[in-house]
Amino acid sequence: MQKSDHITRMENQEFIPLQIKANREGFVLLPEEAASFQAVFAYLKNRLEHSRDFFRHTKMVLDLRFRVFSIEEIQSIDSLLKESCGAGLVEIKLKEGFSLFTERRERIIVPPPASKDVEGVPLIVRQTCRSGARIVSQSDCLVLGDVNPGAEVIAYGDVVVFGSLRGLAHAGAAGNRHAKIWALSMEPNQLRIADMVAVPPRGSKPVPKRYEVALVRGESIEVVTV
Amino acid sequence: MAGRTIVVTSGKGGVGKTTTVANIGTALAKKKHSVVLIDGDIGLRNLDVVMGLENRIVYNLVDIIEGRCRKEQAMIRDRKLGNLCIIPAAQTRDKDSVQPEQMKRLCEELAEEFDYVFIDCPAGIEQGFKNAVAGAQLAIVVTTPEVSAIRDADRVIGLLEASMLRDVHLIVNRLNDRMVKKGDMMSTEDIVALLAIPLLGIVPESEDVVVSTNRGVPLVHDRSSRAGAAFQGIAARLNGEDVPVHNGRELGFRDFFRKLFTGQ
Repeated sequence: MQKSDHITRMENQEFIPLQIKANREGFVLLPEEAASFQAVFAYLKNRLEHSRDFFRHTKMVLDLRFRVFSIEEIQSIDSLLKESCGAGLVEIKLKEGFSLFTERRERIIVPPPASKDVEGVPLIVRQTCRSGARIVSQSDCLVLGDVNPGAEVIAYGDVVVFGSLRGLAHAGAAGNRHAKIWALSMEPNQLRIADMVAVPPRGSKPVPKRYEVALVRGESIEVVTV
Repeated sequence: MAGRTIVVTSGKGGVGKTTTVANIGTALAKKKHSVVLIDGDIGLRNLDVVMGLENRIVYNLVDIIEGRCRKEQAMIRDRKLGNLCIIPAAQTRDKDSVQPEQMKRLCEELAEEFDYVFIDCPAGIEQGFKNAVAGAQLAIVVTTPEVSAIRDADRVIGLLEASMLRDVHLIVNRLNDRMVKKGDMMSTEDIVALLAIPLLGIVPESEDVVVSTNRGVPLVHDRSSRAGAAFQGIAARLNGEDVPVHNGRELGFRDFFRKLFTGQ
């Protein structure tokens, strides 16, 4: 490829500022190294308008390994994709082996950006946390329901479950060893407090419906009945 | 009045989604409702085999969606029941050839004509699941009393709730009465307590299922089958009839007659 004559080629109809490649997951948008952002944006807009159905709800990867865009530029491409055909940027390739994934995992319940201290507003979840759910609280977390196997509840403060804790709970996730895990029925896959991990003894059947607290004593996590 | 669209799903494979769809659909058709069964498992179709209709396929679901045929052309009428049809999946395409909106539109059109539209969902939670769920108003989650199946069912229920499908019912399939009594199998109560959704029915483990699948005749045609009776009970409950779910097992043939004669 000759890069020196890109200006003349840009005048020419045949110059393509942006390559759109299809792969198994969706499309890869690969801007030419020499193309201006305006040219790329206009070209993309044009293509999207012409084949809206073709691109509808597809997943796009923006490959910026050769041509770097600013954050505002990336955002405007993202909103163009969303508005014109409901497509979304799922990944932004920045360097070889270094990518940014924009797609959020399903059903992550993200609390409002909290202040750094753990004394923020506790996160209250008013439903059963099913397998695959991941709940992260920058403060305490209160679950009004069960935490089923495969679900994760992570809090910087305490975790309180008004129901059966059968999944994973992580209290004091930022390193606070004084955090505790409370549950009406403690049958977890795993308990974590700060940097410590505990698994229930194998084969032990928990006594049903007892109000229990897990806390750090010495160098291990203990579950005590209150 | 528009019919009901029901998706049958499970997350895990091999728990009996297709068998459930075939049997409930047939049972409802036997009650004189018009029923259409859609095989949503594009690329791995087998509803047609279970129904014994595989050699009649000309057009399929993807053909309808891509406009290569009218939907009437792709519908295959059942051999015994005139008011039961299936729409087979394409075997030579993959799940991405259908979009959730297209599926939703098709389900809406079918619900205008039929009393019940059943969608047989593929295993997994990827594109095929999203397609199958898109058009449904009600979901039936099938699980077996195994920890792995229950875990997947739990995940699927979470995903259904996330996609605003709140009407979710549970069928426990392949329950072995004797093993539950011995404490070797999870009981229905345990499963319902964990999954926390209403129980629609319990289907006992039965060898009849294998025979019926191989012969391509749904179990509900076999009047001596306990599993078939269970499916008929489920169909009746779906239809709004007040049939009790028996604890651990469904009304068997003998129970049915006892009930008939004693009036209990």
